[in-house]
Amino acid sequence: MSVAIRRKSILGDLFLGDPKVTVIAGIVLLITIGLPIFSLGFGGIGLSRYLVNLIGQIMCFAILALALDLIWGYGGVLSLGHGIFFAMGGYLVAMHMVKIAYLKTGTPPNFMLFMGWDALPQYYAGFGSPLYTLFLVFVLTTLLAFTFGYVSFRSRVTGVYFALITQALTYVAMLFFFRNDTGFGGNNGMTGFLELLGFPLNQMPAIVGLATVSSLTAFVALIFCSVLTRSPIGHMLIAVRDDEPRLRFLGYNTIWVKLFAWCVSAVLAALAGMLYVPQVGIINPNLLSPMVSLEIAVWVAIGGRGTLVGAFVGATLIQSLKFWLTAFIPEAWPFVLAGLVLVVTVALPNGLLDIPALLRSIFTAVRRAEPAAKES
Amino acid sequence: MVTILGILRILHLWVNIFQVKIMLTFPAPGRTRNNTLPAFAPRIFPLRKSVSALLLPLAMVCIFLLGAYDQADAQGQKDATGRSDVLAEICSPKTDEQIRAIGVLVHIASDGSEQDLAWSSRIIERTLNRGLGCGPESKYVLIDDQNYFDAATFQPVSKPSFELSFPSLTFRVRAHLETASAELTLLVKSTPEIQESVVQTIEKNFKIADKQIIERAMKLDYNSAVLSSLKAILSLLELHSDSVDKRLAAIKRVGTEPNRRTQTALLELLKDNEYSSDPRIKTALQSSLRKVDIWLKFSNILAVAFSGLSYASILFLAALGLAIIFGLMGVINLAQGELIMLGAYCTFLVQAFFKTYFPSLLGWYLPAAVPVTFLATAAIGIMMELTVIRFLYKRPIMTLLATWAVSLLIINSVRVIFGTQNLEFVALSYLSGGVSVIGDFMITFNRLFAIIFALVALVLTSLLLHKTKFGLYIRAVTNNREMARCIGVSTRMVDSLAFGFGSGLAGLGGLALSQIFIANPNMGQDFIVDSFMTVVLGGVGNLGGTAAASLTIGEINLFIEPIWGAVAAKVIVLLLFIFFIQWRPEGMFTPKGRR
Repeated sequence: MSVAIRRKSILGDLFLGDPKVTVIAGIVLLITIGLPIFSLGFGGIGLSRYLVNLIGQIMCFAILALALDLIWGYGGVLSLGHGIFFAMGGYLVAMHMVKIAYLKTGTPPNFMLFMGWDALPQYYAGFGSPLYTLFLVFVLTTLLAFTFGYVSFRSRVTGVYFALITQALTYVAMLFFFRNDTGFGGNNGMTGFLELLGFPLNQMPAIVGLATVSSLTAFVALIFCSVLTRSPIGHMLIAVRDDEPRLRFLGYNTIWVKLFAWCVSAVLAALAGMLYVPQVGIINPNLLSPMVSLEIAVWVAIGGRGTLVGAFVGATLIQSLKFWLTAFIPEAWPFVLAGLVLVVTVALPNGLLDIPALLRSIFTAVRRAEPAAKES
Repeated sequence: MVTILGILRILHLWVNIFQVKIMLTFPAPGRTRNNTLPAFAPRIFPLRKSVSALLLPLAMVCIFLLGAYDQADAQGQKDATGRSDVLAEICSPKTDEQIRAIGVLVHIASDGSEQDLAWSSRIIERTLNRGLGCGPESKYVLIDDQNYFDAATFQPVSKPSFELSFPSLTFRVRAHLETASAELTLLVKSTPEIQESVVQTIEKNFKIADKQIIERAMKLDYNSAVLSSLKAILSLLELHSDSVDKRLAAIKRVGTEPNRRTQTALLELLKDNEYSSDPRIKTALQSSLRKVDIWLKFSNILAVAFSGLSYASILFLAALGLAIIFGLMGVINLAQGELIMLGAYCTFLVQAFFKTYFPSLLGWYLPAAVPVTFLATAAIGIMMELTVIRFLYKRPIMTLLATWAVSLLIINSVRVIFGTQNLEFVALSYLSGGVSVIGDFMITFNRLFAIIFALVALVLTSLLLHKTKFGLYIRAVTNNREMARCIGVSTRMVDSLAFGFGSGLAGLGGLALSQIFIANPNMGQDFIVDSFMTVVLGGVGNLGGTAAASLTIGEINLFIEPIWGAVAAKVIVLLLFIFFIQWRPEGMFTPKGRR
């Protein structure tokens, strides 16, 4: 894996180094500005609800991919359990919305009826406040990521073992959330959300608002990650990925570098989940299945690890393809996905970003072959 | 002479009448013999009221005449009259009389001819289902689906003009009827399932069960489960017998037959004042109860240990292939679960083949499937290795993604080809049922099969790895690839074959699991996390470690399960595993030397 070599420029060091990141960030910014204008601006004529919602969802996936790329592409630590952070953000915001709906209408959520409870469990206290929920998204995710990361990195669990352990953790969480008596809706999950911050969720302002906020968050996340990876700590992270023992011998405590990136990555994933769940209107433990977490890794692998643009583009491309394909031939999607992954893993180690280089090499090979053919 | 003779005759007749009287005042013996008594009773009844010397001769003549008439007439007439008396009692509003009549019915059936048995069973069955109509003047009809029959003779009759009432079935009467019907079913041939359900019915109401019937049934040809239940019912009956000595003996005997049933029975007796007031019985009860408790605890521990062992063998079968592929070769194969699933599908195909071509040998499809499944899954594994994994040996994380893609491909191909429904396997006679060992501990054959299969697989695989040239090559290549190549081992060939071998083992795991679990396209997903956990816990590259790890996980799982439930057990075991790996990342057993 090559570290992106950056040109020294004052502006670049301050803000954007990689021209590809600049381009993608620009596009995301345009979408962020364009979304509300095109969907609300012209008196109702504009983008359809479905499309706006779709863009919002895909932006959430892009944030998720960025989160994984930060820790896998830059830190060399593959997590097959990023679904747990994504779901954590989702569940927390779902608790908030369930509580709001219960307070507003007085109709208890399904899981309360199912379990025969006459009040929400204790831990729903305070969830009426959106700020408290946001606070919890940050704090709880950091706490979980820190605890798990600290014990794992301290005992130097790395590589494949770390991947398998994170997968096991997510699996445990899935089993736990499938239980009905936990107060999180069990296998039916939580649904029946009414409104968020006072906006009814099934109406255009909320849909556009959520999509715009997702897009804006994706933009900010992209810039943040770009700055982070070019900062001293980012360089340390890349060094950890490329040769951790050497860094250790040089006297650095690599745990804290990895732990920092791991926690940032977890919080980003949780934010993505927090934005995602109000847009789809339901959350259930399937979000915690190993399949979902693996798919995140697949976006990053296909797009290209170690480059923010790769992860971003990978997630958006694959999810768009998925939405488009499943609308026509749902059975074909797993085959297409599997085929893509196989091609990428076997032939394109750096993902789709290898394609230009591959084309170039083919092109030069052809050009060299032509005069040779003429001579003979 | 004449006078002497006359006196003698009168005396003889007196005795005759006295006998009748005895029979009337002690009706119990009449129940055990045939139904002769009820046939006479009403006719003699008024006679007993007017026992005057003057009327005696007349009465005697009547009796003689009647006796002659009875003998002359067919047996059927007597039966019919007896039957109608029983029916009268069943139709009586008094519960006690009804219950007595049910007792008579049972004895008519058990001691009489086959027709009697059929008649009694039918009457009991109809009474239970509101199909016995009682009319006035000893007229009884059976109603079966709008058809009417004479209740005593089963002759079809027209719809009666009089109004029919039905016997009132109180809770007690119903229990008696059900028990009686169950007892009668025991005496005729039926399937084991019916027998077991019938025995359960009797067991529920063992207090009203008939000892003689049970004893008779025990001599019949029943399977061990039914027989042991019957034996248990018998000892329960003995517990409730009238004499103290019999009770004591029964209590002692029950103490040697520990199971949950006897435990509750003894506990009930201990609460019963009639029993606990007698100090002899009380001490006997307590000592028996103690014995039963100890044995029950012991048998429970054994049962948990056994199911833990069988769970461990399942884990081991699922993880064995991975122990080669991941443990020895270091390939993270996320498609391992799918190889297991393919093994189950191969077994299914072999079964289908037997069904079409050798239906008579269908029971033997499982042994035949062993080589077929092994070779088929091994071939699939080798194909996987040649097309995908070969290129990724140096990039483990990419292997992980690629094998995940392969698993996605396999699952969806199977879904498209076979559909998503569960596979249906023929129940094999040699894999169903089990042996009851002690108390509630029972060894079921399919679990025993899994354990033996796992043991055989472990032994054969270790032999192959350590005693054959192929095993030597595998170990050489996995230990030091470069060196192995230098001395002329074809590492590519060994890689392919080793991968194929691991896949074949996974397929065999699928074969065994198909007999225990449900088999469908998603079944592999259930095993993947567990099998990785087992291999990692056991220490990579170590078959014995894998076996030890599956034992540990299996036993821990099964000991937690009764306390907090299955899901919690799984969660706790996984969390324990995660903590264990933090503490010892190399697993329980690590191979000595460098890797």
